[in-house]
Amino acid sequence: MHETHEIRESRPAAGPLLFEACGLSYQYPDGTTALSGVSAEIRPGERVALAGQNGSGKTTLIKLLSGLLAPAGGQVRYRDNPLAGENLDRARLEIGVLFQDPDDQLFMHTIIEDAAFGPRQQGLPQQEAQLAAGRALDRMGLLHLAYKAPHNLSFGQKKRAALAGLLAMDPEVLLLDEPTANLDPGQEQVFLDLLKDFSGTLICISHDLIFLYELCQRAIVLDHGMVQHDYTMRELVSQRQTLREHGLDFSFRMVVAPESPDAGTEDTSCRPRPVSANDPGRGLVQLQNYCYRYPDGTTALQGIDLLIRKGEHISVVGENGAGKSTLLSCLTGLCQGRGEYLYDGKTVTGRARKRMWRKIGMVFQDCADQLFCASVREEVSFGLRQLGCSRPETAARVKEALSLVRLEGFEDRVPLHLSGGERRRLALACILVMEPELLILDEPTAGLDPQGEQLLLDILQKLHTTLLLVSHDIFFIQQLTRRTLVMHQGRIMEDLPMQAFMEDQRLGDLNGLSCMYRLRCTRDIQALQHEHEHTHEHQHLHAHPHRHGDMVHEHLHEHTHTHAHRFVHTHPGRDQSHDHAPRRYHEHDHAGHDAQPHEHMHKQTDETA
Amino acid sequence: MHISDGVLPVSVSLGGYAVSVALAAWSARRTTSVQLPKVAVVTSAFFVASLVHIPLGPTSAHLLLPGLAGALLGPVAFIAIGLGLLLQCLLFQFGGLTALGANALMMGLPAIACGWLFQALKGNTHLRHAVAGAAAGATGTAMAAVFLAGFLAAGGEDFFGVAKIAMAAHVPVIVIEGAISAFTIGFLFRVKPELLETGLVTPKKEIHG
Amino acid sequence: MAETIHHIPLWYLPLLVILPIAALWAGVTGLRKTARKKTAADRDPDWSVPPLADQSQSGSFLHKWDVRCKIVTIVVFSFVVASLGHLAAALAAVALSLSVAVMIKVPAARLMLRLLALAGFLGMLLVVMPFTVPVHPGDTLVVFGGVEWLTLNFRGLLLASTIAARAVAIAMLMEPLLSTAPLPVTLHGLCRLGVPEMAAQMVLLSNRYVHVFSHEARRMSAGMQVRGFRKRTDTATLRTVANFLGMLFVRSFERTERVFDAMRARGYQDRFPEPVNLRLCASDLLICLAWLAAAAALVVWDRIIL
Repeated sequence: MHETHEIRESRPAAGPLLFEACGLSYQYPDGTTALSGVSAEIRPGERVALAGQNGSGKTTLIKLLSGLLAPAGGQVRYRDNPLAGENLDRARLEIGVLFQDPDDQLFMHTIIEDAAFGPRQQGLPQQEAQLAAGRALDRMGLLHLAYKAPHNLSFGQKKRAALAGLLAMDPEVLLLDEPTANLDPGQEQVFLDLLKDFSGTLICISHDLIFLYELCQRAIVLDHGMVQHDYTMRELVSQRQTLREHGLDFSFRMVVAPESPDAGTEDTSCRPRPVSANDPGRGLVQLQNYCYRYPDGTTALQGIDLLIRKGEHISVVGENGAGKSTLLSCLTGLCQGRGEYLYDGKTVTGRARKRMWRKIGMVFQDCADQLFCASVREEVSFGLRQLGCSRPETAARVKEALSLVRLEGFEDRVPLHLSGGERRRLALACILVMEPELLILDEPTAGLDPQGEQLLLDILQKLHTTLLLVSHDIFFIQQLTRRTLVMHQGRIMEDLPMQAFMEDQRLGDLNGLSCMYRLRCTRDIQALQHEHEHTHEHQHLHAHPHRHGDMVHEHLHEHTHTHAHRFVHTHPGRDQSHDHAPRRYHEHDHAGHDAQPHEHMHKQTDETA
Repeated sequence: MHISDGVLPVSVSLGGYAVSVALAAWSARRTTSVQLPKVAVVTSAFFVASLVHIPLGPTSAHLLLPGLAGALLGPVAFIAIGLGLLLQCLLFQFGGLTALGANALMMGLPAIACGWLFQALKGNTHLRHAVAGAAAGATGTAMAAVFLAGFLAAGGEDFFGVAKIAMAAHVPVIVIEGAISAFTIGFLFRVKPELLETGLVTPKKEIHG
Repeated sequence: MAETIHHIPLWYLPLLVILPIAALWAGVTGLRKTARKKTAADRDPDWSVPPLADQSQSGSFLHKWDVRCKIVTIVVFSFVVASLGHLAAALAAVALSLSVAVMIKVPAARLMLRLLALAGFLGMLLVVMPFTVPVHPGDTLVVFGGVEWLTLNFRGLLLASTIAARAVAIAMLMEPLLSTAPLPVTLHGLCRLGVPEMAAQMVLLSNRYVHVFSHEARRMSAGMQVRGFRKRTDTATLRTVANFLGMLFVRSFERTERVFDAMRARGYQDRFPEPVNLRLCASDLLICLAWLAAAAALVVWDRIIL
């Protein structure tokens, strides 16, 4: 535990408690500790962010608070009663829990039936439940799809439908587990607006601290199953040091990237010389008037014209369901559309399409779709076996690929037991080991904590293959690519150099890529994180061992003294008084303190006598 | 291979219904009713798994998986299989409404038997598990083939020839099922051994809430 | 009465047996492809209203018919059809089913898909039975080129055709039974007829998650293909498929827990809400009676007259 000598910003302190967790602990069935000694008090109307690395116990805590798991030790009290029996039944109808995967939550036949499930359990008659469900779907903008089956919806729609199912119950508490992971910025904005209007209590898990900063006031930081901090959101983001300790430092995202491609800072090998469009020889991938229709008849891609040159780093952006994934499937040869597809100058059809896997590697959005072996070694060498590599060569290449993604020594581990970030890097290694000419990454940052993101970014920045990146994450796009394709409803709407893309304002309206609130929050947070040396005389209470006058005598004591401090704070203007971000205890040496004559009350003990 | 409508004598299909309803009720007793939705979800996974085709020379065979279902689900496997067949009959155009009971018996009884067999044979090692898996997989399919032949033969001596040929057609499938079950159980033993210990639902487990 | 035996040279065998089988096979495969394409919706329907609520075909008597009556009638009729012994009676049942399907305007492609699903099993019967049924007095036999064990028995062909006709008659009724009401309503009807409610809910849940898992399986197999996996007849393929199945089960067991959690979090306590209220009126029973009378007539014709 860290020192908690801290001066807290004011929080609603009065009023009854909603949740009271005392000394919660929980072990997974396999015996590893998920939580130990977690205590927290949450009052009605509070908005609490739960932050922490992957595997720090956040989801477990949410399950304990909603009574889905019974704690191994300690107790959860809801409205002053233990969370069990009738109180639990009541709590279930008042607490809405949004799970990470909307497919887990949409278990009824159509989304309106699903939204009506909660109200029916609350005891409403069928008509009223149907009305409540309709209203909730309307708020999420899904009323026009009310009778559609969940499996025919896009990911974003499913996520919204899942939230509608909770809102229909008119909950007093919402527990959200990664509500915006994998959503495009437009839908994220829908979530944000709706949650900001929500009047009840909110507990939200997210790796996206900027989203949390916008939504929540209070932050609880979990690390290794323990509460490390419990303070305001402003305090959390302002302390880069604590963020880094808990692997949450997302400040690397705020470093302004070299925006101009002419800045000359990047590796020249990544930059092809400009090639005119009618020079197909240099193109690695060329699509002309390419179309794709799903077997059920809906059009996924139409009139795609695309030229990818060797060594280029390209990103693809667009809303959920814009056809990005379909484009990738067509490129990798999993799907066959109509139109011309040239790879390295040769038409890709029939037999050549079946062999595209040798040239193009793709890392999927959900790495669970890609990892299916019982050990890391088997997993990485799977592709090499298909390529027909010899045993020694396989071993060497596996070793090399694993060290490239910083997973040395993981050969005998089971992929399923690795953490989220490790699994993602393993999936990357499985593709890199095959040395593809074109590397495709589909949402590489989905579900990663900031530390994992930074590691992944470091790895990707060192690669020299041709890269196609699909992401909603503007920062990653900016860092890794030099050219951006904007997709919308199965078409490529724009094909822009990075600079022009970042400046193009219209795109926000077209694609729901508006990231205005992100820019604003980033600026706020940067201001909060601004820190400089500031000699500022002040007093504080202090306990430390010391020598006492001429007596050889050492003991802890408390005294008041003044000295210079380093502060994290903002300067709004020269003349205005400035705010200090909350000050906290820190180590400092007391030069010459022993020599100072001082007097204070002593407790008489045997030794001093 | 499932029996389609119109093949079995009515008395056999009605009898099949009666016995499988009784077995399903017995199987449902083995768990608390609150947990039955879990069985439903896992049934869909087995359903999807049974659509996997294994190439077999120029043709291909799809998996039946009664042995694996029994090994992983225990007695609840009967419900899962009945449910799967009902779903298939309702929505995916295979299987017959009148032959449903007989089909459920044909696949479900081997599943229950293989569940016991697997629990009896599996030791603590990877190899023993894989061998037990192979035994369960092969036995399950073999039993299903015998049941199929039996049901067909119930139609009278005119059907004996068909029954024999149906049995013979299952021989390569038995081999494939045995191998697949052994590898799958081996994989699960290394990756998630607790699945093979407790199964999906434990009857007397206390559920919170 | 002794059996009639026709002797035909052996080279007729390909002409009379193998050629029709090949043609049938090709036809079935082709039809299946086109039927799949046809069943795909041309445009997205309006999802803001319940399906079947405003379509032209919803006016038929089957759509308005009480779902309990519908289930009882069709199930009883199916068993009656299954008990028919003569080809003529079975063909009459096929005609009856077909007329019902036409009356409620079942899309031909959907009907075709259901029938084609039967093709494998029925095709096997049609090929095997003529050659394997024991010879009875009065049978008509065709011996190919004097090879004794290769004897085509017309009684077997007749028997197989009767079975096929019965299967087709019942399969054609599945569309009217299931597509004239949303699945939850049909299942609710079943519950009102005494099937435990949990069974119906389990069917719905499985149906929902079959789609989820098949998407999952498709993505996983795409993940394998991207790394060069192709199915062949060898142990490496079996091993990889086993890993695939193992992963599918692991993920499904984990999902099972999460779905169960999500259900309990919204107040599930081993009961699901009822989807609709059903009311029975006289016309429902009348249709039921009329249909069952037709079934009885079929039985009488089959058992007594033929």
